Amino acid sequence: MTRTMLGASLKMVVRDKQAVFWALAFPILFLGVFRLFSFGSVDTTDIVVGADTRTPAGAALVESLKGVQFLQMRVEPGLTEAAALTELAANRADVALLLTPSSAPGQPAKAEMIDAINDPIGSSVTTAAIRSVIDGTNLALTGVPRAIDLTARTARVERTTFFQFLGPGIIGMGLMTFATISLAGSLSRYREEGVLRRIRATPLPPWRFFSSVLGAHILVSLMQVIVLAVVAQLLGAKVFDGGIGFILVAVYGTVIFLNIGVIIAGRVHGRGAVEGAANAVTMPMMFLSGSFFPTSSLPAAVRPFVELLPLTHMLHAMRAMALEHESFFAQWPALLVMTAWVLGTLLLARWSFSYADA
Amino acid sequence: MSGIARASTSDPVIAARGLIKRYGTLTALDGPSFEVASGEIFGILGPNGAGKTTLVEILEGLTPATEGTASVLGIEVTEHPQAVKARIGVQLQAASYHQYLTLREILQLFGSFYPKRADPMELLHRVRLEDRADSRMRTLSGGMKQRFSIVAALVNEPDLVFFDEPTAGLDPDARLDLWQIVREVRDAGATVVLTTHYMEEAEALCDRVAFMNAGQMVALDTPQGLIRSLNAPYRLTLTTAHPLPEADVRGIPGALEVVQERTADGFVVRMRAQTAPSVTTALTTLAGRAGTDIIDLAVEPGTLEDVFLSVTGRRLNG
Repeated sequence: MTRTMLGASLKMVVRDKQAVFWALAFPILFLGVFRLFSFGSVDTTDIVVGADTRTPAGAALVESLKGVQFLQMRVEPGLTEAAALTELAANRADVALLLTPSSAPGQPAKAEMIDAINDPIGSSVTTAAIRSVIDGTNLALTGVPRAIDLTARTARVERTTFFQFLGPGIIGMGLMTFATISLAGSLSRYREEGVLRRIRATPLPPWRFFSSVLGAHILVSLMQVIVLAVVAQLLGAKVFDGGIGFILVAVYGTVIFLNIGVIIAGRVHGRGAVEGAANAVTMPMMFLSGSFFPTSSLPAAVRPFVELLPLTHMLHAMRAMALEHESFFAQWPALLVMTAWVLGTLLLARWSFSYADA
Repeated sequence: MSGIARASTSDPVIAARGLIKRYGTLTALDGPSFEVASGEIFGILGPNGAGKTTLVEILEGLTPATEGTASVLGIEVTEHPQAVKARIGVQLQAASYHQYLTLREILQLFGSFYPKRADPMELLHRVRLEDRADSRMRTLSGGMKQRFSIVAALVNEPDLVFFDEPTAGLDPDARLDLWQIVREVRDAGATVVLTTHYMEEAEALCDRVAFMNAGQMVALDTPQGLIRSLNAPYRLTLTTAHPLPEADVRGIPGALEVVQERTADGFVVRMRAQTAPSVTTALTTLAGRAGTDIIDLAVEPGTLEDVFLSVTGRRLNG
């Protein structure tokens, strides 16, 4: 009986297109969209240089600017200030550098930099880089020996990219929305369509009915976390590093959201209202618990509340395992909070959903 | 199921004693006592709110009675509702089935809830739905859905089947079709309890009919027995070319509610009669004596609707 029931419940979940959307398409869409953004990488800066490369100063400056990696350079001899401003206004360049040859022997050539970079940090970085190029060119042209020689290199350390941070967040979000919305929706559908009443007329004990429905949702969640983890990994989030512990925490957390789904189906009547209520619970939690941004960036006043939410702890444990290679057992504080949620929501679910009233 | 007394075959399939169901101050069921014999098609008739569904839900083990006892297949239903559920079949009004499962899958699923189960394809064959075995519920017509809901009540090869308004909302053809299926279920050995508010359905199908009104069982007999219990069970209509002497018509023994009127067809006498043969003879003799031609004579038997009206003072449908 249990296998037939579980099989039937599984078919019902898998054949429900709306449930499949929440389970897979919705989070995969999020993963794909976020992958398109290149968070954290430095963009190149377009520079237009008005310099005559036949002069030593012009030639040396252009040569030195080629060495700055983030500058995308275009040389336009005879560029006037007005023309440079037009280039900036038309977004064809971020910075213009105008080199005016020396008016008399012994006089320095004049370089003028105009930038249209709105971001103050980007503007200072670009100014500093060009200033350093000019200084270097000055030294090279005048032959003054260097007192300090700088060697700069980039350390090859692993740093978490924003997308890697997002991976577990989106997987957790997908598990939560699927569990709550799909289960609350199917239970209320069963009730409204009379399926529950019909099942009640059979000798099937209520606990067997609920365990098969919950069991099917847990199995689908397990498949869901595996599929989403593979997609996230292929897109560049290192969720595989979390190992089996990552999956265990994800599925354990899903139990909480399934219980919440039962509570909503029990307390709210009417399918539209049930879906609305499920969204009202999951949407704020999705943002507050740090699916997309670290909870540390939330206002201090909100954080104690956020620390009470189950998704916060689930995501914390998933990220600790995937991104910081912590062990499953090291997640015991998060697992403790989640266990309190599992038990609390289970009791509330039992109290909320009356099988006998169906 | 130790401790549950099993009935012998001669025992009634259902024995209800003083069943009362109260919801707060509302009494939904007010003490019916009755028995249903093995192999019967037992009809429960009554308007909406008469207590039919409450009565049936108590017998099915879905709702406990506030007072009274009911033994179903020899099992006390209040004490062992699960044991009763295992041996009965239930078709519920408005109960639907999982929309994402095929008919075959639904029957397999429901079969898995019982120790004894029938083959899904055989069941579908009984209601001519075998070619829809792999279709889902939403693709079926209303009549097909009702046929399926009947067969879904037979997954555990039950000894007793409850059909709750099985033909509600169906067209006449589909209704006849379903009546035949209900008869076949009985002929295969099950006892059938059927609720309906269609009088003709009860008359056509049921061996015995119980009338429910305001929570009480106000009459119980065979359809013919109930009709015979009417003071004047027949309705007579005589059309003649010339009028009959009205005092003579009223004087016919066993004639009641006599009305004579002139219509386009002629003079029409309508009446209710306690016995059809003697009143008909008396009427034709009267017409012969009056020297008028008889244009038409119609004798209609009484209906359950007439019985319901006479017992409760209200019409069942309307």
